[in-house]
Amino acid sequence: MIRRDFIKKSALTTAGALASPYILPSGRLFAPSGNRSADHVVMVMFAGGVRHQESVGMRYLDDSQVGEPYAGNIMNNMLTGEAPTMKIVYGTGEGGLNPIPTILGSSLQSQGTLFSEVQALSSGHFGGYNSLIQGADFAGQGLKQRPVNPTIFEYLRRHGGYKATDTWFIANGIGGSLPLLNYSAHEDYGIQYGGNFFAPLVTFDDQGFEHLGNAKIYHPENELSPMYQLKAFLDSNFTNNDGMLNSLGNTEEEKQSIKAFMKLMYEKIQNGTLTLPPVTDNGDTATVGFTCELLSYFKPAFTVVNLSGVDTCHSNFSGYVKALHRADHAVGFLWDYIQQIPEMAGNTTIICVPECGRNDEPNAILDENNWLAYDHSDLNSLRIWSLMAGPNIPANNIVGSEGNPIGLASDAMMTVADILGVKADVQNAGMVAYGTNSFLDLM
Amino acid sequence: MSMQESNNKIAPVQEAGLGKLAVLATAAAVALQSCKKDTDVMYELNEVALYSDASDKTRLKSNEQFVSILFTNLFQSGISSDIVFELNECFLSIGDQEVAREVLISNFFNQSNVQLPTVDEMMADMDLFIENTYRRFFVRMPSEGEKTWVKNFINNNPYMTPELVYFSFALSNEYLYY
Repeated sequence: MIRRDFIKKSALTTAGALASPYILPSGRLFAPSGNRSADHVVMVMFAGGVRHQESVGMRYLDDSQVGEPYAGNIMNNMLTGEAPTMKIVYGTGEGGLNPIPTILGSSLQSQGTLFSEVQALSSGHFGGYNSLIQGADFAGQGLKQRPVNPTIFEYLRRHGGYKATDTWFIANGIGGSLPLLNYSAHEDYGIQYGGNFFAPLVTFDDQGFEHLGNAKIYHPENELSPMYQLKAFLDSNFTNNDGMLNSLGNTEEEKQSIKAFMKLMYEKIQNGTLTLPPVTDNGDTATVGFTCELLSYFKPAFTVVNLSGVDTCHSNFSGYVKALHRADHAVGFLWDYIQQIPEMAGNTTIICVPECGRNDEPNAILDENNWLAYDHSDLNSLRIWSLMAGPNIPANNIVGSEGNPIGLASDAMMTVADILGVKADVQNAGMVAYGTNSFLDLM
Repeated sequence: MSMQESNNKIAPVQEAGLGKLAVLATAAAVALQSCKKDTDVMYELNEVALYSDASDKTRLKSNEQFVSILFTNLFQSGISSDIVFELNECFLSIGDQEVAREVLISNFFNQSNVQLPTVDEMMADMDLFIENTYRRFFVRMPSEGEKTWVKNFINNNPYMTPELVYFSFALSNEYLYY
């Protein structure tokens, strides 16, 4: 009897192993032929309109506030450079006098490659997000509209055979049409190839906990199984097929996994055991904490996390440099945390890229330090950069220079496709912005 | 008789006439009010016609509509606009809407005031239970085929409870449409 069971199970396992390459969710017969240079990619949309001068330029107040000739690097985890020595307001404590201690032993720049000036495709947030997610320009794209062209999530899932929980978009809120960015309205792609999405500061805040944090636990076989069977019968009698009912394509197992993750997050919040960066005093840092939890739980192939705290620069320059310093802190924590996840350590590429820059000239709004604020609409707001680190990314490498831009914002999407093995499919689809390349091809 | 005298004589007569008129008018007003026939005021809900079948439902409910109707179906009372707003935000924060709906429904079932028949009531008159469930969630009557299938399914699954039946209906595709 035991021998029979063994033979039966062996046969099933062998059959499953033989069949599994043919049952990719994409409908492809084989896994993508493109080589993967890493099994995981994390893209940080950094971080709400970052002025080139205060970030890669490392000029702090020197290039923004008249009569304040104080330069220096306030992104100590990401960039290599000396911090400012005067007029420090971006740290913690009263007046922000104490810079946040650096997390990484060596900067991301020294661990990887910096494209020191890259051309953004939009001076606005949503256009910028779309260029990073679609690899396409903003033409024809409405503001409160799903992306017109396929997103990287859809390319990965359709052509790469990645399952739904392999791809995630973690947003720091639900404003700015962010919940629309996990799949496009393109007829050949769409929701069935979309990425999973969480805005954890909403899902897991007080109101989320109140409405979703007390889910009843059902027995998977005795209760959930017949419940789903009855639902399947009811669905079989409802033939409306207008496309609205298509779902992200999480399998039942994946759905249970997402629900279990949600329950775990509510428990960790209640217990005070949530993973958070040492300084978590704004939404970006908290969002990165949840991202770490999600990476640890799902080990996704591709994750996008969006930060936007620096957008306070529209009216408060001091708040802007504080948020920029914290976004750097969050990225440092994220990269350090990834190295503590066994399945992702040494096997993950990080790409940090702003969706847009900020203006050369200030507006007229003064903050508590009498510093002028900056919007984003002119040519200077098309000046961004890209920072990468991970397997096969050259270390201590700088490509391009200030005033000599190399690369486009849309290259970030193509780079993800390149690393995860679907670059040829994306190129063949022909829907990316003109001149888009993989950053790997520009090094 | 001077004009002045004449006026003085006429004035008392006019005053007396006006006083009578005032009394008459008041009496008439009181009479009209007091004699008004009572009307029976009755407030009632408009009757909602049942759908003849599922194919009549062609419009997808919004998140707000879904949670409002779900709340009413489960608790037999209205939901506040604040909670509808908050629940919509929760739905927007989760990519997989099926997961969001499932989590919300299972949270609702964890509340004490959810209105559910007992298992005994369900088993005592299965036909009535199924008809009421279809009416409550789908706003239509089940076909004979549907009724028979659901009845057999419940009878053959000892763990099926009214709660799980309601869960299936609330999670179904048809429930997303009106």
